[in-house]
Amino acid sequence: MTTHSAQLFSISTGSPEPIYRQLVEQVRRLVAAGQMAPGDGMPSVREVAQTLTLNPMTVSKAYGLLEMEGLLTRKRGMGMSVAERPAAGHSAAARAELLRPTLERAALEARQLELDPDTVLSLFTHILKEQA
Amino acid sequence: MNTPIVQLSSIRKQFGGKPVLNGLDWQVMPGQVVGLLGRNGAGKSTLLECLLGLREADAGTVTLYGEDVNALSDATRARIGYVPQKCDLFEWMTPRQMLGYFKALYPRWNEAKVEGLLARWGFDRFKLDTSIGKLSGGEQQRLAIIRALGPDPELLVLDEPVASLDPVGRREFLRELIDGVVERSTTVVFSTHILSDLERVALDVAFLKDGRITLQGQLDELLEGAHRVVGAGARAEPLSLEDLFIEVTQ
Repeated sequence: MTTHSAQLFSISTGSPEPIYRQLVEQVRRLVAAGQMAPGDGMPSVREVAQTLTLNPMTVSKAYGLLEMEGLLTRKRGMGMSVAERPAAGHSAAARAELLRPTLERAALEARQLELDPDTVLSLFTHILKEQA
Repeated sequence: MNTPIVQLSSIRKQFGGKPVLNGLDWQVMPGQVVGLLGRNGAGKSTLLECLLGLREADAGTVTLYGEDVNALSDATRARIGYVPQKCDLFEWMTPRQMLGYFKALYPRWNEAKVEGLLARWGFDRFKLDTSIGKLSGGEQQRLAIIRALGPDPELLVLDEPVASLDPVGRREFLRELIDGVVERSTTVVFSTHILSDLERVALDVAFLKDGRITLQGQLDELLEGAHRVVGAGARAEPLSLEDLFIEVTQ
């Protein structure tokens, strides 16, 4: 069990996606991918707010939503940690679904650039292999 | 707890026959961090000056902590900090003299914080004894921020506080603002054109247009609710704050 640092997060301003939502998505992805394991401690609201220079209420809002979803649990006097949950939640299909918003944005831009699907898919395939 | 700290009702202000504030109503609740947005010349500075009683409105009322702004008690006055857009007062004084002067004016003065900020923001011994008029625009702005933060204000009003700061300076300033919000639930009202800073710290935004607050709300909700319909209503495209600014203020 580890306690994660606030460096884990990165946010971007100027996005149509509110910052609290960016934080929520990042935790979902990290948990789904197993980079955050059940029982792991989350950085405190204050630490995240100060590291990323964010209003602490924005961080609380993200943590609150993740708690409601059951992804995080609040332990008395110990802050937030990643909830214990069955591995079934981590199916490839569930993880792929998390990628949807990003891909939808990419698809929108592809249409604006009038690119055909084959060109876009081959570019994406290329990028995937490049990173690996 | 749910009484507004700042309350403006039917404020009118004109300059040379041209109305700038046109029956404006606005409230700020305790603990809010509000970004005030508007085009150049929309009257943001005039609004903030009227809010603080530095400029008299032609009509309407302003109350701060329930007191008429033109008859503020010393105790209430001491709870408020202000960073003007351009500070060309005290140019003949040195930073050391100016801060000493303000320290004597306030019942409460956080010396440790002021010393810490001076050290971190590059005010060495030499600069502390240079007259303020000879400092750069960015240094003068930092000094104005330090002066405003000195009394640990409960309400902080900032007019384009970061306009002459570089990105590092802006980030340091935001950090101070966040510390204040974390430690003392400071209420903050600030105008800025730097939307990325606003997104980081402001939970609420208010748009000033045609002499009124035309839109106010939680930034998250505005972003999530804002869509531009493109391609003959075929798709709704989400908007960024910058897009929203353009849509709302045009």
